[in-house]
Amino acid sequence: MVDVALIDHVFILAAILFCLGLVGVLVRRNIIFMLISMEIMLNAAGLAFIAAGSAWGQPDGQVMFLAVVTLGAAEVAVALGLTLLLFRRYQSVDVDNLKELRG
Amino acid sequence: MLDWLWLVPGLPFLGFLILFAGQGKMPKRWTTLVGVGSVGLAALVTLLIAVEFYGTPEAALTYRQTLWTWMEAGSLKPGFSLYLDGLALSMLFVITGVGFLIHLYASGYMYEDEDFPRFFTYTNLFVAAMVMLVLADNLVLLFLGWEGVGLCSYLLIGFWYRDPENGRCARKAFIVTRIGDTAFAIGLFLLFRELGTLDIQDAMSAATATWPRDSGTATLIAVLLLGGAVGKSAQLPLQTWLPDAMAGPTPVSALIHAATMVTAGVYLIARTHVLFQLSTDAMQLVALVGVLTLLMSGFTALTQTDLKRILAYSTISQIGYMFLALGVGAWSSAIFHLMTHAFFKALLFLTAGSIILSVHHQQDIFKMGGLRKALPVPFATFLVGCLGLTALPPTSGFFSKEQILNAVWSSPTGGQLIWAGAVLGAFITAIYTFRMFFIVFFGEQQTEAHEHKGFKFHVPLIVLAVLAAVGGFFHLPLTSALPHAGHDHVPLGVEVTAIALPMVGVLLAYLLFYRQIPALRQLFETGPLKSLAAFFYSGWAMDWLYDRLLVKPFVALARWNSKDLVDQLPAVVSRGAALFHRLLSLSQNGQLRYYVATMALASLVVMAVAVYTG
Amino acid sequence: MTMTELHALLPIIVIAGISVVLMVMTAFFRHQRLASLITYGGFIAAAVLVAGQTGSGPQQATPLLIMDEYSRFFSLVILVTSLAATMLAYDYLRRSDVFKEEYYILLSLAVLGAVVLVSSNHFAAFFIGIELMSVSLFAMVGYMVQGRTRRAVTLEASVKYMILSGVSSSFLLFGIALVYADFGVLSFSGLHSLLGLHSTSSYSQIGAAMIVVGLAFKLSWVPFHMWTPDVYEGAPVPVTAFLATVSKVSVFAIIVRFFIESGAFRLEALVQALVWIAVLSMLVGNGLALLQQNIKRLLAYSSIAHLGYLMVAFIAIAGSNLANTNLAVEATAFYLVAYIVMSLIAFGIITTLSSPERAEEAETLAHFRGLFWQKPGLATAMGLALLSLAGIPLTIGFVGKFYVFAAGVAGQLWLLVGVLIVGSALGLYYYLRLIMEMCKAPDTEPAISREETPLENRVVLSALGLVLLVIGIFPNGLITTVHAAVAVLR
Repeated sequence: MVDVALIDHVFILAAILFCLGLVGVLVRRNIIFMLISMEIMLNAAGLAFIAAGSAWGQPDGQVMFLAVVTLGAAEVAVALGLTLLLFRRYQSVDVDNLKELRG
Repeated sequence: MLDWLWLVPGLPFLGFLILFAGQGKMPKRWTTLVGVGSVGLAALVTLLIAVEFYGTPEAALTYRQTLWTWMEAGSLKPGFSLYLDGLALSMLFVITGVGFLIHLYASGYMYEDEDFPRFFTYTNLFVAAMVMLVLADNLVLLFLGWEGVGLCSYLLIGFWYRDPENGRCARKAFIVTRIGDTAFAIGLFLLFRELGTLDIQDAMSAATATWPRDSGTATLIAVLLLGGAVGKSAQLPLQTWLPDAMAGPTPVSALIHAATMVTAGVYLIARTHVLFQLSTDAMQLVALVGVLTLLMSGFTALTQTDLKRILAYSTISQIGYMFLALGVGAWSSAIFHLMTHAFFKALLFLTAGSIILSVHHQQDIFKMGGLRKALPVPFATFLVGCLGLTALPPTSGFFSKEQILNAVWSSPTGGQLIWAGAVLGAFITAIYTFRMFFIVFFGEQQTEAHEHKGFKFHVPLIVLAVLAAVGGFFHLPLTSALPHAGHDHVPLGVEVTAIALPMVGVLLAYLLFYRQIPALRQLFETGPLKSLAAFFYSGWAMDWLYDRLLVKPFVALARWNSKDLVDQLPAVVSRGAALFHRLLSLSQNGQLRYYVATMALASLVVMAVAVYTG
Repeated sequence: MTMTELHALLPIIVIAGISVVLMVMTAFFRHQRLASLITYGGFIAAAVLVAGQTGSGPQQATPLLIMDEYSRFFSLVILVTSLAATMLAYDYLRRSDVFKEEYYILLSLAVLGAVVLVSSNHFAAFFIGIELMSVSLFAMVGYMVQGRTRRAVTLEASVKYMILSGVSSSFLLFGIALVYADFGVLSFSGLHSLLGLHSTSSYSQIGAAMIVVGLAFKLSWVPFHMWTPDVYEGAPVPVTAFLATVSKVSVFAIIVRFFIESGAFRLEALVQALVWIAVLSMLVGNGLALLQQNIKRLLAYSSIAHLGYLMVAFIAIAGSNLANTNLAVEATAFYLVAYIVMSLIAFGIITTLSSPERAEEAETLAHFRGLFWQKPGLATAMGLALLSLAGIPLTIGFVGKFYVFAAGVAGQLWLLVGVLIVGSALGLYYYLRLIMEMCKAPDTEPAISREETPLENRVVLSALGLVLLVIGIFPNGLITTVHAAVAVLR
């Protein structure tokens, strides 16, 4: 491990972001806010990759970040389509409407 | 000739495959040919093998045949290997021989049924599985046979699927035996874990080398295996499924629920007798299970009115005798009784089938009556069967039961009290058997009867009747396979009591249900017992009497037991499982955010574990 | 990139080619039959290429992907499974009123992801493979969310899957980042000399735990299983079939490789956590399936239990004895194949009986009541699959379970083996309940259509049924293959 102090700080920030995102997914019922929270979680991981990559002096961290961003974009592409359908079906974006499947 | 051993399970399995592929589109004649023929050929092969087997000196009486190595998972290499010794051969006689006769009978009995081919598909599979169970040389193959016969039994009890009641019976049988099977599986697993081998013979010799007498592990494993045996053989406390299993067609009752499958438990204990010998406690438990079962089911049989249920309870009771024999170390007597029981009980069931068919599916014995003239052949064969069941000399049942009773008297795990219980059981057996016999065949005829005649009906009955009559003279090649119990010398009085009591029982049944007590009546009319004599006019009154004096306490116990305690056991298991299911279902509430929360919480736990204990 | 690397990558390129060709084709004209044939052809070509390379030794293609016997074996399994799943889906899609061709594009992308995943020995390829598969699967789960023949629950299933899968991906990524921060290495083998031997830092410990959490979601290990029944029920059944087989198997195959090559089994606390996850999976999966009335949900719960059984062998890999470790790896590989065969039959039958034109899936008990009398062939196949799932001898499922059992015994995992036995006992009940249901008298008004079973489905189902039986009776062929395939690990 190199430059312990820096990496610890960035990772604390990334962990806080990650937890914020997770809490956001937990407490928000609006699907759009859930998606934003999910993006925050992903980007927390992305931040962690960049920090780790720079600490080790390798490009790998940034490459992984690019993959993360691509994933985020792909997920959102599908997600927004579903959001639209959700709104059409229920006239709302509240995910708590979805509770037919259970048991 | 021994090389042909694989044909014994192979032929019925081939029959199963052909019938299954035919999907019921084959002509009935071919179905019969395949279904009955496959088992018949298997019986023939068994016979040829037996001829060669008897020719070799007794000490060398084992034969192994490895068909192929089934799978090789590391050091575990269970093969498709068959192991033949005297014990297995004796079982093969019963399974294929009696099985063939029952199949032959069934080809007549089931002929009109629209699901005729399906019946033989199942029964052929059953025979193959049962033979596999008996011939298995390793625990995995034994387990295959064990599960296979259970599956077939389940399918055949629910054979007439259009009546949902039959489905219920099949389910009950399934759940109850599953309790035993789980114990059995755990027992096998422990056996394997402790001894490190899957081969049964190796395991048995390792057991004596590993464990001292009365070691806790050996006792635990023996008790677990006993659990499996108790479930399969319908012994206390898992006996309740067998009377309900009578929902299946009568040949099935004869084949699976009298002659073969229900005796698998007896076979299992005999096969693993080395283990039981190591544990006095387990032996004692086996003996107790046997004697309690035989008494309780005997008393229950006294009050039943359904012909097949009487026979079912008597089956439970007779298997109780086999367990008792195992418990007192009379291994070969248990197997001997298994064989004679297969003869006379199959005979009784098949005859009962003929009777039931003749009186248009009436099963209540009090609605039959006086069938002696209308059904001469069933009358004769039923009589032979009843004599065998009552163990009157010189029928087959006499020889086997006498051996058992003598062994009980002098065994350390038996003793005089248990002997008394067993003899009381024999006495009750005589009463309920001949109660059934006299009510069905004598008295006023209550219903019309048309006898079903023909080769397929009569030949099996007559052959089985002959076997039930003279089967006691057979010599089973058991001396090398099972330890010899030694000739037990019992006091003459003991022996005489054991022989006489059933006769008294028959006499009593005769007086009560045939003569309807005119003699006793006179006696009672002059004395203070006059009012009591009123009860003796009819069988009903007598029923009432011994109901009060004798049966009621026992039946109350039995009923309390069967309705509450024993039925509770499966019920508790299934209710517990259902509760478990419902509780878990609550967690599956369909709320997305709740799912996320669970995930987050669970990951916190996993991370905490990884950090703080790592 | 050298020619040998290119050659090694050829199967992956062919699969990628399928989706490109299909996208171009769909832009100009639509034709389901043609699209399906292109897909079949692509899968077969890729499978032949993979099979042709078998035995040629390990080949590292770029730092990201390894083509060795293990990845070839699972690539082959995935391709054959996908081929079967696609063939089973054809008639179902034909009868629905959505656009059909895109399904093949998404499917081939998901297969591409799965093959990349099982061939990866680097976190980048691992991550790309798993996400390529997952994102394609969101779209597939929600494939019939529109149109006249939609089922109301499809939308719910796809939203749930998307959100939960996204969250789990974040866990996975964050975990990888933590491990990377600790060691500066992203390849599995690079971690081997570091992970678990470096006990001063909790980064890699938390990181490995988060990776396990992310994968546990994909594998529906309890308590990360909650999406499984909902998504299985809501998704169109051909998608469920694909999801239940290809995605589960590829993720399991890679977690085995990851744990062995990176030395993650040294993290004893994590392995201990896995033991409890396994116990929970076997008990909860079977418990939830016990009285379940919906067949798709029942199979979902049963798959949770089966993944739990697989974990017994997986955890047994952690043992120190090399022979036992090999046995355990073989057991996972064998069980995965068995699991595919029986799940694919079960879902294939549901696909065949479903009527997408009426937005109705054959998922209730009523659809199966009396099936033996109406469609004996299908009912036989279903019966075989259920017996195999229950672990009745002479089926592939029994051999697989025995293998897992042997691995558990060799690793002395008595708790897990005990739970395995209890779980199987519970399992037998609900599988046989379904068989009894099929034996019952049919309802007067048959719930299923009386149409002829399409040829494609018949061929696939009989082939699978045959495999189920033949391997159940003569498993040694497959055992030898598996043995050779897993020998390259470690």
